[in-house]
Amino acid sequence: MLEISGLQVKYGEIHALRDVSLKVRAGSIVAVVGANGAGKSTLMLTIAGLLPPAAGQILYEAKPLPRQAYEVLARGICLVPERRRLYANLTVRENLLMGAFLRRDQKGIRADLERMYKLFPILHERLKQYAGTLSGGEQQMAAIARGLMSRPRLLLLDEPSLGLAPLMVQNVFKTVREIRDQGTTIVLAEQNAFEALAMADDALVLETGRVIVAGSGRDLLNDPLVRKAYLGIKH
Amino acid sequence: MLIQTLVTGLAIGGIYALMAVGYSLVFSILNFSNFAYGSIIMLGAYVGYYLLMKAGLPLAVSVAGSVMGAAFLCYLNERMAYSTLRKRNAASLYFMISAMGTAIFLENLVYATIGSRFYAFPEIITQQNITFWGASIGVLDVFAIVFSFTAIYMLHYFLQHSRVGIAIRAASYDMQVCQLNGVNITRLVGWVFLLAGALAGLSGMFLGMKYMVYPTMGWITNKAYIAAVIGGLGSLPGAVVGGLILGVLETLVSTYVSSVIRDVFSFSLLVVLLLVLPTGLFGKYLEEKV
Repeated sequence: MLEISGLQVKYGEIHALRDVSLKVRAGSIVAVVGANGAGKSTLMLTIAGLLPPAAGQILYEAKPLPRQAYEVLARGICLVPERRRLYANLTVRENLLMGAFLRRDQKGIRADLERMYKLFPILHERLKQYAGTLSGGEQQMAAIARGLMSRPRLLLLDEPSLGLAPLMVQNVFKTVREIRDQGTTIVLAEQNAFEALAMADDALVLETGRVIVAGSGRDLLNDPLVRKAYLGIKH
Repeated sequence: MLIQTLVTGLAIGGIYALMAVGYSLVFSILNFSNFAYGSIIMLGAYVGYYLLMKAGLPLAVSVAGSVMGAAFLCYLNERMAYSTLRKRNAASLYFMISAMGTAIFLENLVYATIGSRFYAFPEIITQQNITFWGASIGVLDVFAIVFSFTAIYMLHYFLQHSRVGIAIRAASYDMQVCQLNGVNITRLVGWVFLLAGALAGLSGMFLGMKYMVYPTMGWITNKAYIAAVIGGLGSLPGAVVGGLILGVLETLVSTYVSSVIRDVFSFSLLVVLLLVLPTGLFGKYLEEKV
């Protein structure tokens, strides 16, 4: 579905990503694991069209991905950014509607709103509230719902568990699985390595902008290097 | 006397509010004070004056022409002076300098081509009065109040309920995420400048009728700027309330104290307000939860 090869991204002189390659199969969950500053967000922002690659290729369904964010969304790739970044000055409902900005099918949008209320019942009670007044967990739900409102075929989730209570984290990961089961492919960037690897079909570990290990989620869970560095398990 | 003063104050306040809303609209999305806005208002007034007096069109058509002309010029202003800065993510200081340059350029363009003459609209439009509860009220004032409030209400409705309106508010909070939601920012900014320009045309027309049409008339936007700051820069309801407060207070001061200290009063008000309430009446600070 998505094929990245030899991707390089620079901030000025600093290499944020070096020679990153990644394959995403349709219907799978791909986990991108790594510490702070490893380049996870950079990778996500680059795919979404907000950062220009310095070199390399991103193919989506065998065609190069456009370089403007709104064109990328139009092709069916949606990024739910790190720290949720809801529009705090808009109501929850307006936030969800912004997710459907490119869609013109009023009926479909209304049906999808209903679908979101079913997926995230808490949002239904908060519709008229400003998004800035939601709790962290509710904000994450709203952010994911906003992303789904565009009906993406590929959903990029950047650190959805960041700053959430453990129970809420379980909730978010459960939702991620549900979304995949409904047919949306997912790329998940996470610091919460254990959970992410446990549910990923494929995974890779980034360190200072490089892919240091890649394989299936299960393989990486058992990889001694990963266990030591990211799962905190000592031998 | 008091009713008369209040009506005049509201009329001026309404025009201030129009300009302040235009200012705030641009500020809310690009985060800089568009100093070229006054020149767009001035050009809008010239367009209206020419359509009415030289082309002999009816008043309503001239007002519409002035609104459309100013909207187009405002749009052009963004494309030529700001869009390249925007694409390079320039700091707002550069936008402001570019805006000042545009203002000076446009003003001198008018000096060089049309001249520095003052043009007045015919008295039949500007001097009609009706008597109401024993007070003599200018018809023009009533029109100014009605039109500015209608225009502002329409804008408010557009921002609250339309797809593009919601996107404008979203972009005023987070432009990057707006792009992730599929918004073409270049097009959205174009919309904002078209809307601001339309308000500029309307206010330019009323300013021209109330006072006169001349190359430096755009500097009255200083007042609109004060109004926007009183209300809280970037807040539209704030801009309206700020405009009304300023218009009414100014008129009261010039009627009951002295018209000489009117501007001194306005700017003193600004200074005091910035000291006491730096974010204005409605300037709110929304915090993002981490």
